[in-house]
Amino acid sequence: MNFVGLFQALDASQSTLAKRDALVEFIATADAIESGRAVSLLSGRKQSRRLKPAHLRAVGFDLYAQTPWLFEDCYAAVGDLSETLAILLADATREANIRTPVLEKWSETQATLLKAHPDELTALIRSTVSEMSRDEAFLFLKTASGGFRVGVSRGLVHEALSRVTEISRDVIDERLMDGFEVEPAWLERLKKPVTEAEQHARPCPFVLAHPLPDSHEETLSADDFIVEFKWDGIRAQLIKTDQIIRLWSRGDHDITAQFPELIELAATWPGQFTLDGEILVMRDQRMGSFQDLQTRLNRKRVTAKLRASHPAHFRAYDLLKYAGEDFRERPLIERKECLNHINVDQSPWSVQSSWAAIADLRQEARTHGAEGLMLKSKCAPYVGGRKTGLWWKWKLDPMTADLVLIYAQAGHGRRASLHTDYTLAAWSADALVPVAKAYSGLTDSELKEIDQWIKAHTRDKFGPVRQVEPQLVFEIGFEGIARSPRHKSGVALRFPRIMRWRTDLKAEDADSIGYFNRLLDAAP
Amino acid sequence: MVSKNVSTREPLIKRTPRGLYCPPADAYIDPWRPVNTALITHAHADHARTGSDHYHCAAPGRGLLASRLGTQAITPHTYGQPFDLNGIEITFFPAGHVLGSAQIRLSDGQQTWVITGDYKRDADPTCAPFQPVECDVLITEATFALPIYRWPSMDEIMPRIFHWWDANIRANRTPVLLCYSLGKAQRLMTEIGLRSNRGVRIHGAVDTLNTYYAEADIPLCPAERAADGPSGPSRELILAPPQVAGSRFLKRFGATELAMASGWMQVRGIRRRAAINQGFVVSDHADWDGLLRTISQSKAHTVYATHGETRVLTRYLNETSNIKATRLETAFGIEEERDQ
Repeated sequence: MNFVGLFQALDASQSTLAKRDALVEFIATADAIESGRAVSLLSGRKQSRRLKPAHLRAVGFDLYAQTPWLFEDCYAAVGDLSETLAILLADATREANIRTPVLEKWSETQATLLKAHPDELTALIRSTVSEMSRDEAFLFLKTASGGFRVGVSRGLVHEALSRVTEISRDVIDERLMDGFEVEPAWLERLKKPVTEAEQHARPCPFVLAHPLPDSHEETLSADDFIVEFKWDGIRAQLIKTDQIIRLWSRGDHDITAQFPELIELAATWPGQFTLDGEILVMRDQRMGSFQDLQTRLNRKRVTAKLRASHPAHFRAYDLLKYAGEDFRERPLIERKECLNHINVDQSPWSVQSSWAAIADLRQEARTHGAEGLMLKSKCAPYVGGRKTGLWWKWKLDPMTADLVLIYAQAGHGRRASLHTDYTLAAWSADALVPVAKAYSGLTDSELKEIDQWIKAHTRDKFGPVRQVEPQLVFEIGFEGIARSPRHKSGVALRFPRIMRWRTDLKAEDADSIGYFNRLLDAAP
Repeated sequence: MVSKNVSTREPLIKRTPRGLYCPPADAYIDPWRPVNTALITHAHADHARTGSDHYHCAAPGRGLLASRLGTQAITPHTYGQPFDLNGIEITFFPAGHVLGSAQIRLSDGQQTWVITGDYKRDADPTCAPFQPVECDVLITEATFALPIYRWPSMDEIMPRIFHWWDANIRANRTPVLLCYSLGKAQRLMTEIGLRSNRGVRIHGAVDTLNTYYAEADIPLCPAERAADGPSGPSRELILAPPQVAGSRFLKRFGATELAMASGWMQVRGIRRRAAINQGFVVSDHADWDGLLRTISQSKAHTVYATHGETRVLTRYLNETSNIKATRLETAFGIEEERDQ
């Protein structure tokens, strides 16, 4: 089987088990380079250079040079740029080859395309794709432009690898954290025992938390937990061995280069260690907002000016390794005490005797700039993944607002041609000003009903976007608010999502910009 | 005769709350409320509604229409044979959509209008092939008026269906192919019969309609009612309408694998949202090329688009041709919208 055959098997199933089995069969039988590239793609590892959506759009506009809107309408109906081009350009009469390896060849084709002169690129993509079958064209464009998803998570890929190699999932996770190099012996290499030095240079699989259940007062004992604030930054592991210092984010990204000041600071601390903590922006002991932190992310160059205006800070939660020794099996309370060996800022923690005391702490979280509390079992080892019962998060209730639906756009992928992306507005005098975009939070049946309503109440259409009569009101929840000169409303909401459809409210009952300004004034 | 320069005259067809109406003939075309005289393009529920006093249809569709409407007050007409209603010449022409489907041409001697109803240009052994008809004004459907909708031939699709069918037999799963019970099911059965000796098992809704196809001598493949056969996994293909997905009907077959035969299966997201593992692009509507070819062959100077992607079709015609194109809101296509 090749990658196309694998895709067809994955795409023709909703069952996670069937998908895993298809992956296992593929990895065990496919050509090593083909399977290596496929594993890299399916587990969402980023390629460095790839075709941009603008390149693909250019092909579509070129195809309908006289009526470019026609391509936009096709894209809106399909919901995926690569699929749209595959439908329009590929040779639909051709059957896909599902045996001979394709990914290596595609990678070369992609490289050739990227080297092409911009003026020739459009024609080149077009001729390349028109010689492929529909599935091949779709997959080629998907892989060449990145963002490839096919209902398979990285976890499922690792699960399949664990089956194929007969090595436990934890070890697979750990070995693949460091990135993934496609070479003929990749699978063999994955099976090899890990050396000690290797082990210490690698980040450990992060422990993740579950939301605290509502029944916690009856089912959990308050004093079993270490209580600390849940800081609103980026979770990261800071690793120092005798050879390297590295910073890893939870998404398996090496972010060392983005925070030079943290690396310089860690270099001054003696010993070898792996710390679990949070990266924050901190100015004169005052914590910056998540927005401040965002200005630090994904920069090509971290300038001295940026370092001065948005200084990064590492606040440690946990000690996973120390002086060449793995601490993860030790109880948390012991690890917390060992943290004192390192000259790092520690996230303050306590053990409370009652749920009432913990609830009081939670109420204080916002004034400290935290987004809630973390409750970690005192005796728990550090076990990668989301094991129930060890770590709980108790976030603050989100801030909420009632907003009016003014624009809707069809979703992508599974939600193609269903209007699920909403632009929501608040009142400013007697005008509605967009405040947030929200994509999630409604049930499938609500989405369908609202989709029907949108189609029947469209005032105007701008490509894929429909302007609708301002009637429907939604309650949205959000985690934070900041001033934003870039937005017409003057505010930017953090992680807005729909809480419920307020069928009991009319448009005139929705909130105004004044409400958001009051929230801003109350923020720390 | 086709005549030009009709802009100053009253249009022959108007949109009224009851449906498309031809005032001089005092007849409605596919009315969505009860009227005296209804001209029916085909027997699908969004075009053939009950309650009118008298119906006219193309002769091969009479049996289907009578069963759907529960009335005998139907005058059948031979394709291509004009008849007169209050001085208006009316002719039914094959639309190639389903058995007995028709385009309706109306002419007062000055202007000629054609209402296509639903139609397709692809070969279909269950009904007479679409016949291009010239006119001044064309009222066309636009269900699939986007260039992404271009249909493969049945010579390409049928081997894929057989391949999927066999793979399910090997995996000991019952293959269930979802399709409209009127038209699509019989088209698939006929194609299966033309290419194999295989039999299928059918849902009751399909079985009821098959009677009229048998009366019209359409060579359907062997079939038995799914409910009459034994329970448990089936090696025969099950043909059933889309509504059975998730229903009790499927329980008797053990492990099932769902596929759907529809033009909508062209788009992966639509298939995924319907929780269908496999889609086969088989449509009884005209695809993008079919719509444009039909409009061009009609030589119409004015086109009204009635349902589906009407905005796209009219804009495209207005920007790329001399045809004057306008959208026309109707109650057609509701069935398609719902089954998406």
